[in-house]
Amino acid sequence: MKRLFIFIFFLLSHNYLHAQAQEGVVTYERTQYYTKIIARLTFLSQEEKDRAKMTWGNDDGWKQKMVLYFNGKESKYEALKEDSEDGWSGRPEDFFIYRNFETEKKIEFETVSGKTYFLEDSLITPKWQVMNKIKEIQGYMCMMAVSKDPVKNQTITAWFANDLVMQSGPEKFFGLPGLILELDINDGDVIITASKVDLKPVKPELLAIPKKIKGKKVNQVQYDAMLTDLITTSIKGRRNPFWSIRY
Amino acid sequence: MEIIDGFHNIAIKYLSVTTFYPLNHLTALKKILLLLCCCLAGLATHAQSGGRFTMKGVIADTSGVGLPEATVMLLLPKDSSLVNFGRTDKQGAFEFKNIKRVPYLLKVSYVGYLPYQQNVNPKEGDVTDLGKLGMKFLNQDLYEVVIKTARAPLSIRGDTVEYDPRAFKVPPGATVEDLLRRLPGMQIEQDGSIKAQGESVKRVTVDGKRFFGDDVKAATKNLPAEAISKVQVFNDKTEQSRITGVDDGKHEKTLNLQLKDSHKKGGFGKASVGIGTDKRLEGKINYNRFNEKNQFSVIGLGNNTNSGGMSWDDYQDFRGSQSFNWGDDGDFGFGGGVRYISFGGDGDDQSLTIQAGSGGQNRGFNKNWAGGANYNFDEKKTKFNTSYYYNQTGQTLDGISRQTTYLTNSAFTKLDTNGRRNFNANHRGGLRFEKTLDSLNSLIIISNMRLGNGTSDYKSHQEYFRGEQEVDQLSTVSDFANYSDFNSFALGNTAIFRHKFRKKGRNFAASFAYNVNNSTGNVMQRSTNRFFKSSQTSPDSVVNINQNNDTKSLRNQIKSSLLYIEPLSKKFFLETFYNFSLKTDDVDRNVYDITEGGSEMNLNLSRYYKNRSTYNRGGTTLRYSNKGINLSAGLGAQEIRLNGDFAVNQSDPVRTKIDRSFFNWTPNFSLNFDLKQNRYLYGSYSVNVQEPNIRDLQPIVDNSNPLYIRVGNPSLVPTLSHSGNLGFNYFNPGSFIQMFFGANYNYYENQVIYSQTVSENLVTTTMATNISGGNSFSLYGNYGFPIVKTKSNLNLNVSYNRNNNLTNINTVLNETNTNGYNWGMRLDYTPSDKFTIYTNANWSINDTKYSISSGQNQKIVNTNYGAEMNFKMPKDIYFNSRFSYNSYVNDRFDFDQKMPILNLSVYKTMLKSKKGEIRLSAYDVFNKNRGISQQAYGNVVSQEQVRTLARYFMLSFTYNMRGVTHSVRRKGYGY
Repeated sequence: MKRLFIFIFFLLSHNYLHAQAQEGVVTYERTQYYTKIIARLTFLSQEEKDRAKMTWGNDDGWKQKMVLYFNGKESKYEALKEDSEDGWSGRPEDFFIYRNFETEKKIEFETVSGKTYFLEDSLITPKWQVMNKIKEIQGYMCMMAVSKDPVKNQTITAWFANDLVMQSGPEKFFGLPGLILELDINDGDVIITASKVDLKPVKPELLAIPKKIKGKKVNQVQYDAMLTDLITTSIKGRRNPFWSIRY
Repeated sequence: MEIIDGFHNIAIKYLSVTTFYPLNHLTALKKILLLLCCCLAGLATHAQSGGRFTMKGVIADTSGVGLPEATVMLLLPKDSSLVNFGRTDKQGAFEFKNIKRVPYLLKVSYVGYLPYQQNVNPKEGDVTDLGKLGMKFLNQDLYEVVIKTARAPLSIRGDTVEYDPRAFKVPPGATVEDLLRRLPGMQIEQDGSIKAQGESVKRVTVDGKRFFGDDVKAATKNLPAEAISKVQVFNDKTEQSRITGVDDGKHEKTLNLQLKDSHKKGGFGKASVGIGTDKRLEGKINYNRFNEKNQFSVIGLGNNTNSGGMSWDDYQDFRGSQSFNWGDDGDFGFGGGVRYISFGGDGDDQSLTIQAGSGGQNRGFNKNWAGGANYNFDEKKTKFNTSYYYNQTGQTLDGISRQTTYLTNSAFTKLDTNGRRNFNANHRGGLRFEKTLDSLNSLIIISNMRLGNGTSDYKSHQEYFRGEQEVDQLSTVSDFANYSDFNSFALGNTAIFRHKFRKKGRNFAASFAYNVNNSTGNVMQRSTNRFFKSSQTSPDSVVNINQNNDTKSLRNQIKSSLLYIEPLSKKFFLETFYNFSLKTDDVDRNVYDITEGGSEMNLNLSRYYKNRSTYNRGGTTLRYSNKGINLSAGLGAQEIRLNGDFAVNQSDPVRTKIDRSFFNWTPNFSLNFDLKQNRYLYGSYSVNVQEPNIRDLQPIVDNSNPLYIRVGNPSLVPTLSHSGNLGFNYFNPGSFIQMFFGANYNYYENQVIYSQTVSENLVTTTMATNISGGNSFSLYGNYGFPIVKTKSNLNLNVSYNRNNNLTNINTVLNETNTNGYNWGMRLDYTPSDKFTIYTNANWSINDTKYSISSGQNQKIVNTNYGAEMNFKMPKDIYFNSRFSYNSYVNDRFDFDQKMPILNLSVYKTMLKSKKGEIRLSAYDVFNKNRGISQQAYGNVVSQEQVRTLARYFMLSFTYNMRGVTHSVRRKGYGY
């Protein structure tokens, strides 16, 4: 309740100063490096990890385009719908992350291990440490902040733009003084970088939650418990859990 | 939990307050009142406010002008964790109200300025006013070059600015000096001395340590730029103050070079050697060296333990990033838009590329030697590979077989005792070059060659009996002693060009290939064939074969393919392809009869021919792809033209000509549904055309085996096969349940079969003929699930297959109908990291019926049971046992063979970092291994046993630079 109060407070004050809230669309390129993830699997021998690295390491990097729509109050992150390049179409993933900073609520719609979940809960800001490093991404000066994902046990490095007054960001990360334009999960296992920042009015339907969605309703605690269990059983069963869980 | 306050509006309010009540003019009373008010307000909002205070200040530039919209963050000094943040107002003022009374690290960021930070300890009183905080300009040169141009991050550490020099491109082999020249704020003088931000650099350190005394040039001139991960410039204490420990206030510019982690560069290797009873030896060594762009590896192996050549793991270690390549197949066709990895090629020995994964040979005695080297250059846009690999196999097969052939209302049985000594050696060389020309164009060039030679020695004693049992009437006794040797050279070159158009989904590809295959072979055929009819002791007739033949053949092929994909809409694509191939065969086969007077050419068997086969195919496919649904329907038209020219030899003016062409339509349908929850449904129907084999088309009678005479048939037409399949796949990564099932069907039109005519003397004459109606059908299913998750898994499988084979036997059409039933299960029990058991059982029954001889139906039953147990003992000692029990039964022939095989091994890791392993193994403890096989096909049923490597013991040692890792678990598929 306290947090909710604070958030409303912040947003109100924010809107007060910026008569026009920033709205826009950020396109991200998400690259996942499987050999790096393989190298973290405890049940594989060094030889097997090296073999994977030698064979696939130079041609690694599964690329996907993601998109984040935001207005002052809400944001929605999902995969960019793209035309097929080779005439082959895979099944579109069930995935989006919706955040409402006004009501301090989020909805995460995601397929985990072949099952679709509908996670609805309040926003809980990750704990950030702000570092003394700057770089530019798409013309915006960004500052570095680090955090940890305790469920997946990942280190998170985020680069946020002070000039984009929006607390949101890609994947499950937000809560910095500016929009996150780059996210590095676990020392480069996955890198999500903004490839385009387009400040323009965003149609409300782009931020809307689709009416027809099916998924098992869970809250954050249930979701985290389910994920922890999946990861531990997978590792125990000597399978890479991240074939079926978003890294 | 920290309190986060929004402060923008508070800051505004505060500013208005200060206008009227400047803090320093407040009376004590007013102070108290204000405090009271604050407390009340705090109580009202947060119901707690003890030990809280307000922090405020103004962010300004060096000239004192306030910076609006600057981001102000409050961090905890111990770990920089973010507690609160906000922005300055139009005047640059900020305020954090009602914050916990603890020390903070205030951090401010503003575009174009160096991020500012300051430790704040709350002062006494409610408000800590930091006053004006001046931000310094960020060095614009630095910003432009590092951040804008090189897109590298810049770290600020007090007065140290550091960046990653990898972002600054220098040519390979460049020194640190070359690198420094490119860095902003750096200047290299004529004499090699360095200036940073206008000041002379007095000291260069490497990883913080001094490098070759204080000669700054020693490091910068000698270290390669590639070795550096970071360049840091800072003001360090002078040497004087270092020694005395007294800071004299003077500072010297110091340059520190941080070295890269060496994890991207390295080498590893593995060697193992084993020595056993019965003169068994095996050894394998491999070594890899690599860095970011280069991979080099060597491998060598040898064994006489039937262990085969390279395993897939060895292959991957050897080939590295070139193990598997996308889109190396230039023969575009249906589904040409989807790029796939092509493995190997046609058969182990004939393939141009290095073969792996053939596994152990469980027949006879095999000696293998192999070795090679591979080099890869691999970067984003250019990939180059070259490899050389040699392998040889010597094989000794001594076996006995019995074979019964069913004829119209009769049968005959052959007993064969034979010995085979085969030797095969291949040198393979390969080059592959892949270049991404730009974002739209790419080129792949592949060249592979193989140089092979081999010999084969075949000795056989065969007895033919009339009837189904070998005790029946003896008909023929033959003795063979054949010897052959061959040399071959093959070369394959392919170039594939791909172009993507700017319009997404529009693609073009073209390929060109040139292949050569040149071989020479000599065969000596010696046989004595005695035919018995009236008597069982003295033959009625004897036929001796004493022939030598030499064959030279040269094949040239040029191929070209085109592919064009046009997106008709977002969901529809039209794929069009065209293939062309021109293949010429130039074969000169000379057969000589060896008589007492010397050798004489056999004009019936000698042949010289030139054959040209022209192939043209064009086709188009309409593809629908949307949200995991992929459907395609296509039609192709193809023509094969055969142009042959046959003669006894090159000088023979009499030429027989074959000039035939075959035209076919080939439809193609496919469906692929990527359904929800990891379920996939797929199916296809296609028509494939197989042109007749040139050997079958030649109008000659080959009687080199007098008991089995082949006759060519120039009127053969291509075989058309209709293939359909449907399958379903499901995997649940949460519950570990997996399932797949499906069906396949094939129907043959104009199938090439070998019609048999068996003479009174049991001499079989075969002639290739076309026949329609042969078909095959199969069903399969598999279901696996955990009994106890991660501890125990059960997997069940069933399959059924039905084959209809047609053969003409003595001009009567025989239909062999085989029904095969297979089922099995696998149970894994993996309770801990110390103990595991894997079991399996498989049963297969083959029921064969012959239409010409319905009384001769066969039922073959093959059974296999297996169990493997692993356990880990203390002190890194492991134990493994593997047991398999095979049984082969055919009641009709009283054939009942059982083969229990037990392998045991105990091993221990040793040496520092577990780099060594010593292992004692026992193979086939019961000494029961024999190569047994039994089959029923066509009108034949056979059983064979080959003398095979059986019991031996072996002591082996392995050294692995990366450590030997053992697990009682089987190697998984989990990554």
